[in-house]
Amino acid sequence: MKYFRLPDLGEGLTEAEICAWHVRAGDEVAADQLLVSVETAKAIVEIPSPQAGTVSALFGNPGDMVHVGEPLVEFAGEAGDSGTVVGTLEERHEAAEDTGFIIGSPHARRERAETQSAGPAYPDALRGVRRRMARNMAEAHARVVPVTLFDDADVDAWPEDADTTVRLARAIAVACRAVPALNAWFDGDGESLQLHERVDLGIAVNTQDGLFVPVLRDIGNRDAADLRAGIDRLRADVRARSIPPAEMIGATITLTNFGALGGRYGTPVVVPPMVAILGAGVIREEAVVRDGALCARRQMPLSLTFDHRVVTGAEAAQFLGEVIAQLRE
Amino acid sequence: MSLSASLHSRDGDTVERVTMVEAVNLALDHEMAADPGVVLLGEDVGANGGVFRATVNLREKYGCRRVMDTPLAETLIAGTAIGMALNGLRPVAEIQFMGFIYATLEHLVSHASRMRNRTRGRLHCPLVLRAPFGGGIHAPEHHSESTEAMLAHIPGLRVVIPSSPQRAYGLLRSAIRDDDPVVFLEPKRIYRADRHALQSRYDFLPLDTCFTLRTGRDVTLVTWGAMVMETLAAARQLAEQGVDAEVIDVATLKPLDIGTILASVEHTGRCVIVHEAARSFGAGAEIAAQLCEQAFGALRAPVERVTGFDTPMPYFRNEHLYLPGVDDIVDAVRRCLRNAR
Amino acid sequence: MRGIRNQERSLKKTGAPVRARGHKPVHGATRLPGLPGCGMEGSMKTNISVEMPFTRYLAADGSLDRPPPAWADTDIPLHGLLVQIYRDMVFARVFDTRAIALQRTGRLGTYASCLGQEAISAAIGAALAPEDLFVPYYRDLATQFRRGVSPVEALLYWGGDERGNAWKNCPRDLPNCVPIATQCCHAAGAATAFRVRGEHHAVLCTVGDGGTSRGDFLEALNLAGAWQLPVVYVIQNNQWAISVPRSLQCGAETLAQKAVGAGLPGEQVDGNDALAVYDRVRAALARARAGKGATLIEAITYRLGDHTTADDASRYRSQAELKAAWEREPVGRLRRFLVSRGAWSELQEKALYRDCETRVAAAVDEYLALAPEPPGTLMDSLFATLPEAMGTQRDELLRRAGRQPEGGAS
Repeated sequence: MKYFRLPDLGEGLTEAEICAWHVRAGDEVAADQLLVSVETAKAIVEIPSPQAGTVSALFGNPGDMVHVGEPLVEFAGEAGDSGTVVGTLEERHEAAEDTGFIIGSPHARRERAETQSAGPAYPDALRGVRRRMARNMAEAHARVVPVTLFDDADVDAWPEDADTTVRLARAIAVACRAVPALNAWFDGDGESLQLHERVDLGIAVNTQDGLFVPVLRDIGNRDAADLRAGIDRLRADVRARSIPPAEMIGATITLTNFGALGGRYGTPVVVPPMVAILGAGVIREEAVVRDGALCARRQMPLSLTFDHRVVTGAEAAQFLGEVIAQLRE
Repeated sequence: MSLSASLHSRDGDTVERVTMVEAVNLALDHEMAADPGVVLLGEDVGANGGVFRATVNLREKYGCRRVMDTPLAETLIAGTAIGMALNGLRPVAEIQFMGFIYATLEHLVSHASRMRNRTRGRLHCPLVLRAPFGGGIHAPEHHSESTEAMLAHIPGLRVVIPSSPQRAYGLLRSAIRDDDPVVFLEPKRIYRADRHALQSRYDFLPLDTCFTLRTGRDVTLVTWGAMVMETLAAARQLAEQGVDAEVIDVATLKPLDIGTILASVEHTGRCVIVHEAARSFGAGAEIAAQLCEQAFGALRAPVERVTGFDTPMPYFRNEHLYLPGVDDIVDAVRRCLRNAR
Repeated sequence: MRGIRNQERSLKKTGAPVRARGHKPVHGATRLPGLPGCGMEGSMKTNISVEMPFTRYLAADGSLDRPPPAWADTDIPLHGLLVQIYRDMVFARVFDTRAIALQRTGRLGTYASCLGQEAISAAIGAALAPEDLFVPYYRDLATQFRRGVSPVEALLYWGGDERGNAWKNCPRDLPNCVPIATQCCHAAGAATAFRVRGEHHAVLCTVGDGGTSRGDFLEALNLAGAWQLPVVYVIQNNQWAISVPRSLQCGAETLAQKAVGAGLPGEQVDGNDALAVYDRVRAALARARAGKGATLIEAITYRLGDHTTADDASRYRSQAELKAAWEREPVGRLRRFLVSRGAWSELQEKALYRDCETRVAAAVDEYLALAPEPPGTLMDSLFATLPEAMGTQRDELLRRAGRQPEGGAS
């Protein structure tokens, strides 16, 4: 192999950002020796050498985006190569040999950046997860027609140690069964809607590096303990940045439990192709009227954003009502 | 100049290191060997081997039926080449200098470029019109112009400009095999600037794609022809100052591979276009316009142009005043960095 | 009018060579010293005399001016050949009349009539072999029909539709050439291709009298002489380049003598005499196919119509001149000859016109009924493969087409 190209690191991921090189041009490397760390949309991936040999050139510097299929490393002395030995990255830049050109572009074609990549001179530029968040949010904002419904669920009956996230997940699963229109993918370009039998719940997880949404699979057919174990594992993987890309793809509806951080209501963003996201705020005691009398009860504020291109207000209201009914139990 | 026999042999992966004009000669030689329909015509291309020796030894090798010295009439050369192309040959016509190409324009505009279209594919016109172009060799007047934009404006025509031996070789072979007319402009200032070994994997290079000669993150330098030399030198100088420039050789001006340029500018946010031709309505203007249309959000600074002036090409005593230099390019990049938003 | 008078004079000298003005003697002062190898040693030619043969067989009244050519009835049955040519001439004329009517009723674009030039065109069509290549100017309908171009295609061309050049049954000939005389260079190139491949075919290229003033004509002629190319150039001298008469076009007594400067034989022929045109074109083609080089033939005729349907010739030429020209027109001339020889009858004449009108009417119906091309076709044959750079423009084209009523603004 003359060129080692960025492999497909997970379904649907098309690019990665170089974090750090672990070899230099001119180094002898063994098979499986660590070559480079790259950050994909949501994880850092260590890439080993596919073979033993001498690295003659590295393509790109830390911070550069590399696209799947583009060269990462050139190996010296490979068949078909006679003399394009380039000692260092700088020399490769110099195009010392006439063949030191790239036909076309090292960058993906027409992949439009919402923000600029940047070298050290521009400290405001976004990287990695935050860059991905910027793109995803902007795209969602551009495409979805969002409407948000607000309501409160009475959770006064909950025990002190109730597992809020698991209860929310189970409520969503039941509501999805009752109103399948919200557990769906909508292809806006093709104007086609795909309803899902199974509920794969995206759970927004905040980290210092930005927003992650790992997917809790098939929540309708799992018990509370299993769900809790699954949530804990996903969170741990996210925090360790070791979550496989495949674990962050394929959600059919999303939950953002921002109540743990603060805030009462919000207008969460629906990320296509999904059509709905439920937000849960801080549980607090409220003065409510019950049986004609004013009393203090614990309330969970809920915000349901749906894509009005495909979901009607009635469907959304029914869904939210179902969630509230489930949470009250 | 004489080309050694070993230069012509293609056993093994490489031949000897060749200059760009030798690479042109080899491309012609190898295409003539591959296809008896490939013929050469032009002024002094036969017995003399071309005034720049681009066709040297080819008449001896392929005979005067296939390497034709024409009368001194550029209109005729273009028109005859069209007739040959329409009747089954693949002519490669040489216009001795680009300054004499204007007499061919009617044939390029009204016939070669539109024959396939106006006959709805019944006829097509696989011809290559080669011409050395550009300044910097202290040539007499009318021998140093760069008017590629005039040709790039013609629908149906490809305009290809190599800037190294390998690209001259690979692009010319592709141009000869292309089924449509190609104007192939050779920057004569760098005909013999460097020697490089040719590699068989680049025997045929695409006629719709730019070449990235150097990757960088701070600014994209877009250029073609002989100015590739100054631009690469400027990039090296900038690198010493901590500025990382990406250099793109456009190579095929028409059809323009704006994708490669866009991808780079979206990466760097800045673009400086360098060409030897006069500025107004030059090819740089088209590239800047397309960047404005398609990469407005990515641009962090106005696109800069470093070009010749809107004057006739001066006689050679003042040629250096007209031709952009490394410092002009570096200056423009500095402006671009300073003006960043 | 001088040019016309000159030609009238030459027409009177039927069969006799016309002596045109020769080059002036080169004075001693301009003589270059003899240089070895430059071809100037010894004496120089100081006076070149130019003789342009002129050929006519059929007089204006259809009688024979001179005995038929030697090939007649030995190699080729004369009457059979001339009847075929006559049929082609009549078909072209019927088509021509109909095309003008279509233009006048808004169903065809600007149209350049062939009226009066049918003999040249039909005779060329008869003389060319299928393997030869025809490079037309744009008054060549009879040739083109004979070579397989369909009347529907001819209507499409003048009806502003490129499918009018996509000839299904005439794959190799070049399409009409509007820029004037550029086709002469293409013909030289096509002839070179035959020679490079060692094929014994010829190229025939037509050009108008105005076209002979352009550099392209002279450059091509020059090359044809220098390289002894298998090409025949036929000047259809119809006396008018729009409004500019032959006399103002060129000071030479004949256009044929331009061949002399290029070192190839030139001659004149009565372009209203189908037999004469056929005879001379046939000989020139045979010469070309045999590798003996190029020929220039000036066929003298008269443009009986306007330059095109967008022109009004009464602004610049006299009725008297036009009337005189009608006396010499080619269709009646050939008919009278054939009738006098018992080779054509009133009955056949009526049947022929009926047949031509039926065929033309069918072609017109088909032309008018033809759906427009799909809009993408505008770009699809620009290159062998549409460059990626054109992708967005093609999308734009389809969007633009979608916003417009079908058929555009016709």
